[in-house]
Amino acid sequence: MSATSATILVIDDDPDFRRAVTAILESAGHRVIPASGPEEGKAKLLAERPDLVLLDIMMDSLFDGYALCHAVKTAKEFESVRKTPILFVSAVKDIAGARFGFGEGTEGLSAPDDYLDKPVKPADLLDRVERFLAK
Amino acid sequence: MADAPLVLVIDDEESMRDSCAQILDKMGCRVETAPDGESGLRRVREGRPDAVIVDLKMPGMSGLEVLDAVRGFDPQIVTVVITGYATVDAAVEAMKRGAYDFLPKPFTPDEIRLILARALERRHLALEAERLRREKKLLEDNVITMVSHQLRSPLVAIQQYLEVLLAGMAGGLEDRPKEMIRRAGERLTGLMGLINDWLDLARIDQGGLVRKLKPVDVRTVIDKLLEFLAPLSAEHGVVLAWVDRPEQPVTVLGDEGSLEQVFTNILHNAVVYNKAGGRVEVRVGEEEGNVKVEVSDTGIGIDAEHLPFIFDQFYRVSRGEGGKAKGSGLGLAIAKKIVEAHGGRIDVASVPGEGTVFTVRLPKAALEKAAR
Repeated sequence: MSATSATILVIDDDPDFRRAVTAILESAGHRVIPASGPEEGKAKLLAERPDLVLLDIMMDSLFDGYALCHAVKTAKEFESVRKTPILFVSAVKDIAGARFGFGEGTEGLSAPDDYLDKPVKPADLLDRVERFLAK
Repeated sequence: MADAPLVLVIDDEESMRDSCAQILDKMGCRVETAPDGESGLRRVREGRPDAVIVDLKMPGMSGLEVLDAVRGFDPQIVTVVITGYATVDAAVEAMKRGAYDFLPKPFTPDEIRLILARALERRHLALEAERLRREKKLLEDNVITMVSHQLRSPLVAIQQYLEVLLAGMAGGLEDRPKEMIRRAGERLTGLMGLINDWLDLARIDQGGLVRKLKPVDVRTVIDKLLEFLAPLSAEHGVVLAWVDRPEQPVTVLGDEGSLEQVFTNILHNAVVYNKAGGRVEVRVGEEEGNVKVEVSDTGIGIDAEHLPFIFDQFYRVSRGEGGKAKGSGLGLAIAKKIVEAHGGRIDVASVPGEGTVFTVRLPKAALEKAAR
């Protein structure tokens, strides 16, 4: 059990992945808000103001994970949740080449706060979550 | 070919040029003529004819030389040679060098018509095949991206469940089911590796990596991999080290990620198929405009009968006692394709029981300062 309990928004279009990650996060006493895509994620981010966002890159629509991340970091609409850390969780990076250089945004896109490869190691994920909450 | 086909006749005899032109013109071809090889080749470059008819025996540049140059410029141009005294030897030589057919002098208008019609038909088919090949490639390009996503997503979800089960986050597990889940996870990782390798190969086949070449210092690639592979070599009791690491940058023009993959695959094999207490040594040097990277191991070696095939896809050397062949059987095939896509080559030499040396040669980057 972790010292602090957090509310974490998990945005991913794969229901099985959401369920597995939810089990990991709940085992450490965190509360999970699931969202099945960027649109739903956007709404829940603004409405529920989570402590952290786990975001899949989901490239099948124009408004994908990259776009949502960039919007949160830059758009006026997201001013109230601008500081919410975003953790990319995706299997995309190693196959397509990431569209962002880590730490700096390339192609005009803002980088996420951190990145984890899918499948995530439960211990790694919990460790990252802890670190972001400590900040 | 909506336009009338363009045929170039290269012959030093004016009468021959004129009569050919007349016959071909009546066939509905556009005709150009040239009196010698040099001006003929100029026309080939400027006009890109569909077919070239060339006399083998001309003063100056010979017909065979013209033939070679035309084929070097565009092998899709069909060529027909005119042989002076119907010498079979000359005709055979021309055919060997890629001429489509030959016309022994003297020939009738019907003969030239027949041969040329066939030659143009052949070109038409070749171009059509080329167009289809390109279309297929474009299609494959999209398919690969789609397949890659669709194949990997379910596997990742399964892996994620297994991770959760193994971590005991869905309830505690007895040792036996836990062990089985762990094995299932390993098999899944293997399958994922196979899919990734296969997709890599498919992508390299499309020439997808040659777009983003930039100066890469081979030393830093090796440095990184020696560090990355240190745990693996420790696990196998193998020493993995530089021999005479160059002091100056050794720069090639390449795709860094792909080059890392080449040397990861080679070094990984050298470590895994080694003996406990063995060594893997890396040497980097220059040789005739090439950067040469040698990876030598003191491993079990590869039998001569297997050597010619080790770069083939899915070829795996069956290992005797204890030595278990792991991996997809694609690692070296990928390495070879990547090296060749960089204009380099990869070679192997091996003495069974003593060890194996892989040598990669890559063209040295031109002397622009490696600006990075």
